[in-house]
Amino acid sequence: MRKIFAIFWKDTFVRFTSPLEWLFFIILPIFFTVILGAGTGPSDDQRVKLYVVDLAKTSLSENLFSSLTESNSVHPVLIELNVAVSEFDERKVSTVLIIPTTFSQENVINNRAELELRQQPNNMNALIAQQAVQAVLSRVSSAVDIANASVAKAESIEGFSFTSNDARQVYYNQALEQAQTLMNEAPVRMTEVEADTADPVSYDPRANSSAGQLITWVFIPLIGLSAMFAFERQKGTLRRLLTTPTSKAVFLGGTIFGQVVTALVQMLALVLFGIYVMKLNWGHSLAALAAMLVSSALAAAALGTMLGTFVKTEGQANGLSIMLGMVMAMMGGCWYPIELFPQTVRVIVKALPTSWAMQGMLDIVLRGQGLSGVWLEALVLLGFALVFFVIGIIRFKYE
Amino acid sequence: MPPILEVQNLVKNYGNFNAVKGISFDIKQGEIFSLLGPNGAGKTTTISMLSTLYTPTSGDAVICGHSVVKEPMAVKQCIGVVPQDLALYEDLTARENLNFWGQMYGLSGKTLSKRVDEVLEQIGLVDRAKQRVKTYSGGMKRRVNIGVGLLHRPQLLFMDEPTVGIDPQSRRAILDSVKELNRQGMTVLYTTHYMEEAQELSNRVGIIDHGELIALGTQAELTKSVGETDTLTLHISEEEDPETLAAEIRKVKGVVRADVTDHEVTIITPSAEELLAPVVTKSNELGIKIRSVDIREPNLEAVFLHLTGRALRD
Amino acid sequence: MRKLFLIALKDLKLAFRDRAALTLMLLAPFALTIGMGLITGRFSGNTNTGLSDIPLVLVNEDGGSLGNALVEMMQSKDLESLLEPQVMTDLPAAYALVDEDKTAAVIYIPAGFSDSVIPASGQSTPEEPVQIELYLNPTRPNSVGVIKTILEQFMSQVEVGRIGGQVVVTQLLTSGAIDISQAEAVGRSMGEKQANEAGQSSSIKLNRVTNSGEEVKFDILAYLAPGMALMFLMFTVSYGGRSMLVEQAAGTLPRMLTSPTTTAQVLGGKVFGIFLTGAAQMLILIFGTTLLFRLDWGAPFAVFVLVLAAALGATGWGIFLTALLKTPGQASAIGSAVMLIFGILGGSFINVEMMPDWIQFISRITPNRWGLDGFTTLALGGGFANILTPIIGLLAMAAILFVISVVIFSRRGIGRL
Repeated sequence: MRKIFAIFWKDTFVRFTSPLEWLFFIILPIFFTVILGAGTGPSDDQRVKLYVVDLAKTSLSENLFSSLTESNSVHPVLIELNVAVSEFDERKVSTVLIIPTTFSQENVINNRAELELRQQPNNMNALIAQQAVQAVLSRVSSAVDIANASVAKAESIEGFSFTSNDARQVYYNQALEQAQTLMNEAPVRMTEVEADTADPVSYDPRANSSAGQLITWVFIPLIGLSAMFAFERQKGTLRRLLTTPTSKAVFLGGTIFGQVVTALVQMLALVLFGIYVMKLNWGHSLAALAAMLVSSALAAAALGTMLGTFVKTEGQANGLSIMLGMVMAMMGGCWYPIELFPQTVRVIVKALPTSWAMQGMLDIVLRGQGLSGVWLEALVLLGFALVFFVIGIIRFKYE
Repeated sequence: MPPILEVQNLVKNYGNFNAVKGISFDIKQGEIFSLLGPNGAGKTTTISMLSTLYTPTSGDAVICGHSVVKEPMAVKQCIGVVPQDLALYEDLTARENLNFWGQMYGLSGKTLSKRVDEVLEQIGLVDRAKQRVKTYSGGMKRRVNIGVGLLHRPQLLFMDEPTVGIDPQSRRAILDSVKELNRQGMTVLYTTHYMEEAQELSNRVGIIDHGELIALGTQAELTKSVGETDTLTLHISEEEDPETLAAEIRKVKGVVRADVTDHEVTIITPSAEELLAPVVTKSNELGIKIRSVDIREPNLEAVFLHLTGRALRD
Repeated sequence: MRKLFLIALKDLKLAFRDRAALTLMLLAPFALTIGMGLITGRFSGNTNTGLSDIPLVLVNEDGGSLGNALVEMMQSKDLESLLEPQVMTDLPAAYALVDEDKTAAVIYIPAGFSDSVIPASGQSTPEEPVQIELYLNPTRPNSVGVIKTILEQFMSQVEVGRIGGQVVVTQLLTSGAIDISQAEAVGRSMGEKQANEAGQSSSIKLNRVTNSGEEVKFDILAYLAPGMALMFLMFTVSYGGRSMLVEQAAGTLPRMLTSPTTTAQVLGGKVFGIFLTGAAQMLILIFGTTLLFRLDWGAPFAVFVLVLAAALGATGWGIFLTALLKTPGQASAIGSAVMLIFGILGGSFINVEMMPDWIQFISRITPNRWGLDGFTTLALGGGFANILTPIIGLLAMAAILFVISVVIFSRRGIGRL
């Protein structure tokens, strides 16, 4: 046991001699957690952005804009013409509605009001925006439409004509007034019933970010354990260590123990950050938390040990650990909620320890479950750990 | 014929630290000149200034008729440098390394490939030219390192401690190749802290210590300056106090000087044989046990010792 | 100039011989792109992101002209790509689909809806209007929002038709243009005409202008692949910067300076080498994703220019980091950290536009953000003229960072540590 501690201290010392280690140990994880937590979740506002350029600045145009803001499908943004045009040309926005200076009540009555709607070709968002704009327009102009139609119909009847322009105008005004009254009295012909569909995505960007980044940043360095073996192998210290009366098991045990303890310290720091700064509910079941933290760390360390027997150089191991760590974290749902993945992928990623770790962590921090809720995940992670360790020990070589 | 290299009062300061304190010497065409001195004496700093890597704080050096300060480019064209480190790309093959460095010296086309072939032949690596340098042994890497310095047929070759940290066999090969190069007409500036190397190779030697050139001349001239003296070294056991012994020995007639290094007392005397008996008696009187005795004819080691009171070894 | 190229080519060769570096330069972006593609459903064709083919169920028990008009409109070609309507007769089964999250909404048109709006001859308007029911799925607010918008537009058209008919008839009657026996026929024809012309008869003319350029369907990979490529471009440039520190420590850099090569040539060569490696990496990734995933990056010339600009901007960072740092170890660690930070700030993982304004502002210091802006524009059919802003941004970034780096290098020299 003394030897195991000696190896542990040596590793910790070697690792933290570089102040840069703190960057990956605690600073970057917190940075990422905060940034991702600040971002809005995927189930949030997905309304289509619609740029509105108001050159008219009349009460009518303002009315039009405010009607658009009530829409369920577009998110109108008032913006300057040149900005709108350049961003439209850069394909950053799908649709731009330009309200020209001629857009006034008077011109609507005279049937001369025009709007310009610029759309990206064959673009779904542009189509949605167009629908929304048309819906709003027909509401704004409906009374005028009716009055115009009324005059037109009268003039189209054979044997009827207005005696003067004034008479025509009076006819128009009466129609407009009547139409407006009727519009206001129009009955509601639509009801909405909200179904009781269960939401499959339980998502809180802050909880997901805290749990996901915790796993990501613990897995990357633990997979990087492989780099440490490669480093010691390259430097020859591994060989030398094994010329001392130290067995393979003690050496591996010591190294892994050290890494797991370090990882636990790191995870605790991140959990504390989650509890005290982000006000997340990590701490309600210490048993569940301990089970998940220890089993995740063991699984990751075992994976690193196994990889350490495959890679040849430290550089390779470093690259591999960043790549594998990120891919596994991403596929395991640490970056985006796994519920958003296609069904088949959701099944496939069950083969990754990260997806089990994430599920267990979310059970704790998001769903408030205790030990009874996470024992399966913890057990699966320990299973991963066992398999990886066995492969690692069998394949372990000195040089 | 003017000297190929002429160093005039070269000084290099790093802040308050004076690494090189105004040294002057020259090297004649066709000779091997060694700069001998312990680690940290200023050898690498000097060679770095001569190879235009560092700008001197003051002073100048003229190489092939060009000032290192004013015309560094012309100087670089004339010199070849074999640095102390293995300054090679380990992921490139020997041939690729030579090709690259040859191009850095402005070689190209047929001239380049011809010179690369010649140098590969010269360093004996034709067979392994297509393998990456990282697969080579330490000695082979050293040979490539030297080969790079030869590509453009420099008139003057700087070799900065090329034998540090290698096996005796490779060291032998390097020393032989230096002599062979010199036989073919190459002028060499060789720095080392091994007295034997300087002794074996050089026509002339400059001894450098604490940034100062403390002696300069042919080996014969230098040893003569110490006088017709022998060096007598007494090795005593670790428990004994060498200072007491040295103090007593200084009183013995015929002792020019007696210095202490670790567990040795080094005595300079016109005749070691005559001195041996009285010295042994002295130590017996003091109860100090002598484990072994060395007697050496005058050599560079003695010169260094004579000038500094310290042994050359680090 | 020749030596500058030689040094750069040598660096390019060394970078592509370093297997460890290649892992991060080429393998990692591919792996992550595939991973992202998998989880966004790009490869299974079952996408949950973006609004298209919104599933909805129509249950029409009306049988009148308006009910049919609504069904027809929902099935019309205009809305074909947006909606995926399914007509059912079994209302409880339709409700069940929503409850099980299989569809976004049910539109139920009860019997008598048409008659309730425009009473059939001889009938009077019922006291209580018959209402269409929208049974909606609360977990799909955006899909529901789109359906609602379309439905509201239809309803308002219906209302306009009804009121229009009523106004026309009343007006004509009071003015004496028609008599009461003609009234009903006129009114009905007016109403139906209005309702069927859904939205096209507005007195406000909506001029639709479609942007020039090819019609492209946005491919989520066209956002993900450049995001990953740009992130690992940052690795490549920091690796390149690190190689300079490695060469200082190993002595090859001082050795170069003892050959007739100037400091400017060495520095220029290293910078150019970083640039070449970065550009080569980007081009390989673009070529690879085009072949493997049939991903259309957009106009080839503009893509090429943008790659060069992005590589240059990133090279600026690579050389700037080198100027600040002292050892290769520092460069590795800081390089990886900067790669990840720029990755997340620049939008490689999550769309920056979803982030707070201050993050969006900071993201402008990353070449990732500018590059991603440009690549997205191109993938959506934009041309060279549309990516001038990102290109200028990247070039300005490169220029500023180069100037600062040269100042630092001239102070500390590149020949020694």
